[in-house]
Amino acid sequence: MSRITIDPITRLEGHGKIEIFLDEEGEVANAYFQVPELRGFEQFCVGRLAEEMPVITNRICGVCPEAHHMAASKALDALFAADPPPAAKKLRELLYSAFFVTDHTTHFYALGGPDFILGPDAPPKERNILGVIRKVGLDVGRQVIDCRARNHHVIKTVGGRSIHPVAGLPGGWSRPITAAERDEIAAIARLNVDFAQFTLRLFEDVVLKNPAYMELVTAETYTHRTYYMGLVDDRQRVNFYDGKVRVVGPDGSELLRYHPDDYAAQIAERVEPWSYLKYPYLKAVGWKGFVDGAESGVYAASPLSRLNVADGMATPLAQEQFERFFETLGSGRVGGRYRPVHYRLATHWARLVELLYAAERMLELAEDPEITSPDLRTGPGAVTGRGVGCVEAPRGTLTHHYEADERGILTRVNMIVGTTNNYAAMSMSIKKAAEQIITKGKIVEEGMLNRIEMAFRLYDPCLSCATHAIGKMPLSVKIRDAAGAVIRTVSRN
Amino acid sequence: MRTIVVGLGNPILSDDSVGIKAAGMVKELVSGAADIEVVEAYAGGLRLMEAIAGYDRAIIVDAMTRGGCAPGTLLRFRAGEGVGTRNLLCTHDSDLETSLSLGRELGLALPEEITLLGIEAEDVDSFSEQLTSLVRAALPAAVAEILSLCRLQSRESPHPPPPPIEGTATKLSSTCCSLPLP
Repeated sequence: MSRITIDPITRLEGHGKIEIFLDEEGEVANAYFQVPELRGFEQFCVGRLAEEMPVITNRICGVCPEAHHMAASKALDALFAADPPPAAKKLRELLYSAFFVTDHTTHFYALGGPDFILGPDAPPKERNILGVIRKVGLDVGRQVIDCRARNHHVIKTVGGRSIHPVAGLPGGWSRPITAAERDEIAAIARLNVDFAQFTLRLFEDVVLKNPAYMELVTAETYTHRTYYMGLVDDRQRVNFYDGKVRVVGPDGSELLRYHPDDYAAQIAERVEPWSYLKYPYLKAVGWKGFVDGAESGVYAASPLSRLNVADGMATPLAQEQFERFFETLGSGRVGGRYRPVHYRLATHWARLVELLYAAERMLELAEDPEITSPDLRTGPGAVTGRGVGCVEAPRGTLTHHYEADERGILTRVNMIVGTTNNYAAMSMSIKKAAEQIITKGKIVEEGMLNRIEMAFRLYDPCLSCATHAIGKMPLSVKIRDAAGAVIRTVSRN
Repeated sequence: MRTIVVGLGNPILSDDSVGIKAAGMVKELVSGAADIEVVEAYAGGLRLMEAIAGYDRAIIVDAMTRGGCAPGTLLRFRAGEGVGTRNLLCTHDSDLETSLSLGRELGLALPEEITLLGIEAEDVDSFSEQLTSLVRAALPAAVAEILSLCRLQSRESPHPPPPPIEGTATKLSSTCCSLPLP
């Protein structure tokens, strides 16, 4: 057994373990993505008062506490039979839109963008946000930092606390905003719309106008024809905060549209003996393994998925971009909707379309006359015993499910976080990337880590809350022969 | 001279919360000191860089899982020395070094001196608000070290300058067996 370690340093120092299994001929048989497992979140919660969940679950992860706060607040609405007043829902969505703006902006400039702006073959040490601003200018870097700062400010203003919001309550929101705060937020939202449009233009200049990159984006290596999942509003448009879960097939036809409360009837989890991860799949289709196609219950939940399941965007500028996205990528209309785009690298573009939508939606909400209403709370009713809350997190559909006794003390907690939805799809994407670099047992090591990273980076996996883990773990790729022996380990500490 | 003390980590993940707990104790002890701010932080990378911008000096307290030394071992070092604690990197943007370089290129007022205090953790895989016993026992020493750094930093001449941090890292606790340094 030989073992080789190479040690490049890139922006995503890696928190995942990747195992690649070869068959007798030395071709890639399977590839799996593993993340560290943390223990005891359900036990940690059971026995606590349910109303603590918005401030407990937002501590699972330091990156997207806002998503957990929203899902938890919505689960409590259901658990306490308290439908929030319209202004409370709007404030929640306002905060949530600001969160999407900062999160999607950061992903593009710090993680997704460097592969295009600097090129997938640029030296790893340059392929980061620092390299990006050196290429496109310091002013863009300042704008990224300004964008983060102003939206963090909005999150703090609306959510009552920086980073970990505290304003979500069963049946509403605890903190109204003043007219002055509203005006400030509206001004910030306008800046966000401008910056989102700038970012889309940058993407156009760098990627869409570059035939080599378009070839990369549309390459079979980064293509999968799976089912897609995402929340849609009552007109089947993308919505991050609320709606029904829609699932469409590889041909774009609607398979499911269900209330998030029914998630357990629709989603099952596949357990594999070699992994502690559970791979969600669509019950209606069934598990056929880590494979593409309409016969396989594998689905993806991501920015690309959200666009694929929707009939359109709910804001005008984002709708223009939505149409452009599907037209450019050659997806024809069938029955009034576009067929899904299966190019996974197009997720980076989809994320920017969503960025513009979030910015526009934020402005709409800030300009809504009701947004300063102090009527933000519906008093809790009787404990229903069960509450499911669902939002779109930046990385996919996020579902919180709580059960509680008549006193509101938790008896059961279950969560499907954004990244978890994509475990099977990510493994498949990694396998395809691995197939390009391993042929008949020969391994092209140059650029291997980045090619594999590109395959999973587009999903922006949150390895923190996916396994309820926070921390640093080196990226390690193990390649095993048909007998299971490790023939190569490529890792980065 | 404005100093920021950052308790970094996950508050509900056993020993990963040690930095936050130590910072919380420091906050009570320095209350009223106008030139010392104590905050919690939950992610490294850009967020951490942004948190310390605008201060003259930063002390970041975080759990570490270096191995080769006992839980509760304290290690003090400076940013840029290549020693890592658990939460300096954010997987969704970048590591602290890249973030600091970015901030400097953009002209942000970043602290000239960034001291990191790592506390070796035992359990960072279980959800709990409690620390394991050896890590809990290290809290007083960690707090004392932070206070000492704060006091040194707030002194002006004619007081003697703070002793330099030598080498790549300074081992502070006697519980450490030979620590492999990079």
